[in-house]
This record gives sequence, structure tokens and C-alpha cells, in this order.
Amino acid sequence: MEKISNLITEKVKTMAEAEDYHPLRSKRKAITTLLPYAVLQEQNGKPEMFQAFLHAARASKEWELTWHRTWKYIRRLPQKASPHALVLASPHVRWYLLTDSGDLVQKWAAAASSVPYTEEVGQSVVDVLLQIVEEGVLVSHIPTEMWSWLIRQPSLPPVCYGRLVGSQTHVFRAVRGLKDIEVLKSYLLLVWSEWGYIQDGNSFNEMCVLIWKYFSGTGMGNYRAELIQKLDYILGQLDWGLDHLKQHNPWLGRYDLWRMKGQYKKLREVLLEVERCVSSQIFHFSIY
Amino acid sequence: MLGKQWLNRYASTDMRGTAIERSQNRQRKLDGVITWYFDHVMESLPLMLQIALLLLGLALSRYLWEVNIIVACVVLGVTSFGVIFYIFIVIAGTAYESCPYQTPMARILRYTFYCIYLYTPRPVHIIISHLIQVSWCCQLPSGWWSSLGQPWYSMANITTSLTCIAILPVALLVDVSRLVPETVWSLLQHQPMDPSPQVHILDKQTIELDLRCISWILQMSLDKTVHLSTLKHLRQQMSTPTKFDPAIVTYCFDVFIGCISVNGCEVVVMQGLEQLTTVSALCLFCTLSHLWVMDSTSSALGDVRHRYSKIFPANVSFHGHQFSHTMNAIHKVFIQSVKHQHFTWGHYKPPGDEHTLVAHALLKLAQFKYQTTGQVKVSRLILRFALHSLSLDPLPPAPVIADCLSIIAIDLDCDISNTRAVTLDERSVNTP
Repeated sequence: MEKISNLITEKVKTMAEAEDYHPLRSKRKAITTLLPYAVLQEQNGKPEMFQAFLHAARASKEWELTWHRTWKYIRRLPQKASPHALVLASPHVRWYLLTDSGDLVQKWAAAASSVPYTEEVGQSVVDVLLQIVEEGVLVSHIPTEMWSWLIRQPSLPPVCYGRLVGSQTHVFRAVRGLKDIEVLKSYLLLVWSEWGYIQDGNSFNEMCVLIWKYFSGTGMGNYRAELIQKLDYILGQLDWGLDHLKQHNPWLGRYDLWRMKGQYKKLREVLLEVERCVSSQIFHFSIY
Repeated sequence: MLGKQWLNRYASTDMRGTAIERSQNRQRKLDGVITWYFDHVMESLPLMLQIALLLLGLALSRYLWEVNIIVACVVLGVTSFGVIFYIFIVIAGTAYESCPYQTPMARILRYTFYCIYLYTPRPVHIIISHLIQVSWCCQLPSGWWSSLGQPWYSMANITTSLTCIAILPVALLVDVSRLVPETVWSLLQHQPMDPSPQVHILDKQTIELDLRCISWILQMSLDKTVHLSTLKHLRQQMSTPTKFDPAIVTYCFDVFIGCISVNGCEVVVMQGLEQLTTVSALCLFCTLSHLWVMDSTSSALGDVRHRYSKIFPANVSFHGHQFSHTMNAIHKVFIQSVKHQHFTWGHYKPPGDEHTLVAHALLKLAQFKYQTTGQVKVSRLILRFALHSLSLDPLPPAPVIADCLSIIAIDLDCDISNTRAVTLDERSVNTP
């Protein structure tokens, strides 16, 4: 058993390290089937297979690598996995199949709070947070302190389900509803990226309005500067062209690039407009 | 002649008296046969004849040696040939119980060897079998036999044979000088082991014999109780991979079909035959999967597939029966067009031994697909089984986990040829 286990771990590692991610996608069911055993091994002090699973999930550049058949097992994951494994495996859970699992969300939150912070943990927590918020019914189960994970601003991977759903209106409204300017800024810095445009039109329009509403104060200059800096960085990356971006996110197309450029330029203009208005107001105040 | 007389006396039936009196008479004679060691005496009569013949041959040779050496040589040759032939049949009879040329000597020798085997510690067996494997004296004849070509009287064969005969004493000397110290050292190092509950591992020959018996019983018997006990035994035997008569698949299928009736898409089990149906379905599944791997071109497979597709429609439902999981798996293989998207293993929590059998059978199916079609992808049904089994709480037995991992390894195109032994062959079956 040990031999087969090692053999499989090596194979998954090799597949994850290879440049071609297609084999990983075609073998996603087998890789997912490993999860229960990998979690068990991790708890027994042999994390190699679990690490290989996570590595494969990241390298596959797939929005959802896991097989939906795992949902029954996932429900029992908090009982089976260590807090660390639970936190790292959670981004690969299809949360939209678990809309009745409020207790699972609470257990996940408890596990996340008990694990020491690393970039990997931060990525996973934020990814999962966005996924859970996207499922409106689960939002009420998220403890308030979990939102502070956004402030740490871990960088989400180019392809992850949290990024895909992060800019949806549901999520945006939930974050806005917190009325915490720091969380809001961190959220925008997280979801604005060169790896995707804001798919929800309502969300985009509301963001423009929100900038006027929340970031137009005279004391908001630092926030605006940070947001403009981020948008400049994104637009700079977009200028490198599609081929450069596709190396990290193969799902991108010309249309996406065009939409991204349009949206982020517009957001930048809004921010600059706000900045100009604020400056002119200060100028008027100083004259009078 | 005496023996014939005795046997006639024993076989003669007394026509007078009541049935009880006659049976008492028969019983008395049988008791006498046992008390007076009749079988041993009967066995010793031909032995005495053989000894007499040998003595005659030797005495005649001795006598003729002084009269005419050539005639004596002929007689000596014939006698020697007889002795050599006798030694050969004694060895054959000792080595193989199924050998028809049994002699009293072979029986005694076999019993002696069995006693030695029984009372020798297991590490000594291992040392001796290792010695036999590495000794040149044993390797030389097998090498010679495999190097023989056609025709048997060819010059190459003669040369090889003569070389072999010439080398044999040298090999013996080398073996003695090389292996004796090694053996002594191994035996000195051997620590007596703690007495532990002994697990009897059935050897392949015994299992093959059992399987032939099972095949015969299933073919001859019409009694459902006999079928049930036989199939239960078969289920036990199937945990060790061995060759078997392909017709056994057909017999299992016949038993299964005999227990059910198909009304449209519904399968109805006859009253009182629920257990037999479940056991026969499991045996059918195991034997089928085994045969798919061992001999996928077997006509029995084609026959069963043909009959299956005639009896069961593509949309047949086994739902609600204990055998639904095993039959669904068979159905998926026989009726290729069936997708079985909604088939789940969700409620499948069989006892450990059945789980082991099914896991093993599914692993074989996965291997079969891999070997025959070169298709690396394992069927979703099998992968779902692996996922279900690995997710179970508490975990299934270790062989099931090993089989599930092997299934995943096949799907991932890992080379498990070296590790297969762990899952396939290292299985012990407790003898009742």
C-alpha cells in the first residue's frame, strides 16, 4: 500500500510540475478520488500526497478541479481533516453544492482562525470567503472577524474559483454592507486584476458609484492613490498583450482583454475625476 | 489368490435373515476388516510379490554371472530397468498425490515427509527452499531441460546432456562448499519464534482443485441448498487469483437466472431465494471480472454476454435488491450503451469480506480495460466506488484501500506491475 501510495504521489507531482496542464484536467476525477486518502495520510503525519493534490489543483489552472462526487465526503471533512488540511482543501470544495451546510462554514472559520498565517493559508481563506459569500444563504454563517482576512491582501492565484465569483453583485454588496472602508479597499484591490474583468455589469456600475460615495472624502487620498496605483499596474500588465497573460491564465481571450482594458480605464478615470474634484474643493476652501 | 478369496468372502451377500440381521453381518465383516488391518495385508501381498521378483532377478543374475556373463548382463539389465522404473514411480507417487502409479512405499514416504514438514519451524522451510532455489544441482537439470531442442536425438542435445552429466559432480561439490556453511550459519542465527495462531494459506493447487469441484457440483446439482453452500465456498476461494474452468461463470449465471424473474424492466427475486441470489450475483461478478483479465477471449464470456442481453433489457432496474450494486456493475460492462449517470455507491456498506471481493473484482475490471483496449481511463463507476470506499467511516479493510489506490494508479497511468503483488497475491484465506 505504501508503495502504491508513493507511486501515485510521485505521478501527481510529476504531472503538476509538467508544463502541460491538460493531463491534469483529464485526470481530475482520479486526482480528486485521492483526496480522502490524502487527508487521512496528512493527519497521520504524511503530508506528501496532500501536498501533491494541492500542487496539482493549482497547476491545473482549472476553476474547479474537484469532482462534484466528493460533496458527500466534503461534508465530513471537518471531522476527518486537521485544521490546516481543512483550510487548504476548502478552496477546492464546491460550495454551491453545500448551500445547507452552515455548520461546515463555521467549522471552516474556526479552523482558519486556529492556523498560523502564511501566504498559502491566506490565499485559501480569501478564496473560500469569496466563494461562500457568492452563495447568499451561507453569508450569515460567516463570523465577522473572517472579513479581516481581506485586509491582509493575500494574492489570489490567476485561476481560482474565488476570483471568478469575487466580483459578482452578491459579493460586492455583502462587502459594501460591512461599511468598513479598509475591507472595501482591500476587496477592490483583490478583485481588480489583470486575470479577469468584472463580469457582472451591475457590480461594475455600483463600484463606480461606490468610489464617488466612499472614496471622495478629503482624507481618502491614500486610498485613492493605492487604488489608482493598482489600476496603473493592471493596465501596464494588460499592455504586455494576450500571449503574456495566457501563460498564467489560459482561459483569457481577446474579448476578455478588451473588456478588462475598458473597465479598468473607466475605473481609473472615475478615481482621477474624484481626485480632481477633491483637489478643486480643497483649492476653493483654501481661497475662501 | 488368497487375497481374491478373502475379497470374495467379504463381498458375498447373505440372502437369508432379516434386513437388520444382514446389515449386522455386513457391519461385523467391516469391523473385522478394520480390526485385522485387512487393507495393509492386501497392500503387502503385491509388495511381497515384487520383492520376490527382485530377489529372483538378483539371484538369477548372480547364478548366470558364473555360467555366461553376456546372458547375466541381459538379465541384470532387465532387473535394473525394473528397479529404476520402480524407484521412478515411488518418487512420482511421493511428489504428486494425484499420480495414478501409487505404491505403498510412496504412501509411507509422503507421510514421513509430511510429518517432517509439519514439525519443522517455518524459517527452516524458508532456508531450505532458498537453498533449493540457489543450488546449482537444481538449476542444472532445469536449465538442461529448457535447452533441449528438436529432434531429441540431435547432436546439440547429446552434447548438452553429456556436458550436464559431466558438470553435475562439480556442481555438487561447489554446492556443498558454498551452501553448507551458509545453511549452518542461517540455522544458527534462527531464533525460535513465539507460538502464534497459525494462518493456513491455501496453495494454488488446492484452490484450483476446489474450483474444479465447485464447477462439477454446480453442473450436476439442482438442489438450491447445495448451490448456496457451494457458492459461498466459491466466494471464499475467489479472494485468491487462480485459474479456473470458464464454465463456472455460466453456472453462476444459471444459478442467478434460476432465482429471479424479469418482468419488463423489473427484476423479481423468487421467495426464499434472496440469499442465493445475492451470493450468486457476487460470485458471477467475481468470476466474470477474473475471467475478463485471465482470458478475455473465452467463449464462456461471449455466451454469458449473449444470454444476458437477451434476458435483461438495457433499462433494467436492480434497485431495491441486495445485489443491485454488483449487478449494476455487470450491467454497465455488458450493456456498453448504458451510462449509469445516476448510479451511486452511496448506501453500499457491505461486510469486510464482500467489500474486499468487490474491490478486487473492480480492480480486475479496470486492469482488463487497460490491458485490452489500452484505455487508460477507468470507468467512472469504478472510480466512484474507489471514492466511496476511501470516504467510508470507519475505513474499509486494508486490501480494499490497496485495491482502490491501485484503481486510481491505473487511471493515472502509473506502472503498478511491481506493486501489484501487494494487492493481488498477498491474500491469506483462512481454512475452515
